[in-house]
Amino acid sequence: MSTNQADRDPRYNAQTLRRFRTTPGSTPLPSGMSCVTGRAGDREHGAEVLILLAIADERVAAASFRAFGCPHLIAAASLATEQLVGCSAADLLVWDWHPVAVELEVPAAKSGRLLTLQDAVVDAARNWAGGPRSEV
Amino acid sequence: MTDIIYLDNAATTALDPRVTKAMVEALHDSPRLGNPSAVNHAPGRRARERIEQARESVASLVRARPEQVIWTSGATEANNLAILGAARFNRSRGRHIVTSRTEHPAVLDACRQLEREGFEISYLRAGASGIVEPEQVVAALRKDTLLVSLMHVNNETGVVQDVGAVGRLCRARGVLLHVDAAQGAGKLPLDMQSDCIDLLALTAHKLHGPQGVGALCVRREPRLGLVPLQFGGGQERGLRSGTLPTHQLIGMGVAYSIAAGEMADDGVRIAQLRNSLWNSLRAIGDIELNGDPERRVPGILSVSIDGVEGESLLAALPDLAVASGSACATANAEPSYVLRALGRSDRLAQSSLRLSLGRFTTGEQVARAAERISVEVRRLRALAAIRDLAAAGS
Repeated sequence: MSTNQADRDPRYNAQTLRRFRTTPGSTPLPSGMSCVTGRAGDREHGAEVLILLAIADERVAAASFRAFGCPHLIAAASLATEQLVGCSAADLLVWDWHPVAVELEVPAAKSGRLLTLQDAVVDAARNWAGGPRSEV
Repeated sequence: MTDIIYLDNAATTALDPRVTKAMVEALHDSPRLGNPSAVNHAPGRRARERIEQARESVASLVRARPEQVIWTSGATEANNLAILGAARFNRSRGRHIVTSRTEHPAVLDACRQLEREGFEISYLRAGASGIVEPEQVVAALRKDTLLVSLMHVNNETGVVQDVGAVGRLCRARGVLLHVDAAQGAGKLPLDMQSDCIDLLALTAHKLHGPQGVGALCVRREPRLGLVPLQFGGGQERGLRSGTLPTHQLIGMGVAYSIAAGEMADDGVRIAQLRNSLWNSLRAIGDIELNGDPERRVPGILSVSIDGVEGESLLAALPDLAVASGSACATANAEPSYVLRALGRSDRLAQSSLRLSLGRFTTGEQVARAAERISVEVRRLRALAAIRDLAAAGS
């Protein structure tokens, strides 16, 4: 068998597939930086996300993620980490998953999984604002 | 260009070239082959002769007599004709039917239809191994039980039921036994006579034959009554009206004839490949075999892989044609009811893979598939390594 039009999985757009397969943004944070994390979801419900943020001058200097979930969630976490760089804690609190969903063409039935991603971002913002930071 | 490794033979199999050849010859020969019901002229009689040869081949594989074989469009129709037909014909005798929770939807949905018609169905729970014990069947029988319906080989796990033991127990109690043999026929020996099977559903496309054709073998002595599902020309002794598809039936006959000659050798070779695949996969770690480790058809391997999400695993393996217990299409669909019936959690049912091998599966393909699964499972598990990092970051 060979690859042709019918072999392409219509459930995922090209960017979703690229991000799912290569997972940019999942590499470890640079060492020696102050770090906060945000976590949401659980595996029993099919979606769990960890956002890791390196902080410098009260801004996100670098972001990384880990995720258990479908390709759309993994791709969305990958895209989100790029968007989060440069954000303040206040920016994170109002981070919105909808533009990511549009860019990746995430089906409406999977909105809940992207809400899990948003919950992880907001959790990171709260930890940043209120909690102690660890060092990477 | 990417070669796809086909490991979904439980869904359908590639045509055996010998089957293709016979079917193509029949199509080329179509001016000489008429409607097999038109036996008043030579073209019709020639088609009829070819169909009867195919009927003999199908009957021979399951130790039935040719006159017991009723052609259908596949196993789904055969299962429906068996269950609905037998229940409706015998409804004055009783309205109770016994089946199991791990049957194919073609059986379960037919049973649900009978429930709507006033029948009562007992759904037996298989053990964690996927096996329904004959004693469970006997315990479920009642005075008004008409029919037991039990699959030979489970399509998701490959687990083999002891239909012979169940058949003998049913026969002794005057209860009909229907067996869905879509996955087992031609892979394991079946004997309609000694296994005391009254109704046996068969298909061609799981056995390197064509899609869209199957058969129901019906006990003849004593004769078993069925109410037909469709009406028209009265073909197949009035049980299945409709023009018979000559070239497809020829294909099914050849496929069954090949299976009769090669089943033993194919079984040994395919079981070795399956065992090799399982040994490679379990070396990854945290992978569980679904279903009984011994009582299984050679070609089906069902595993649950902890720590990966099912849809992602499938999406990560576009070069493998495999099946999954995952509810991939939508976020709210449910994972495999068969694996959940065996006691698997939703999470493990979601992360299951069914790898099914066939006559044309090679050792090289199996090795490459195992390597690809190993690479992707490790990648997805590393990506999902949340707890350790969260603990370190908190």
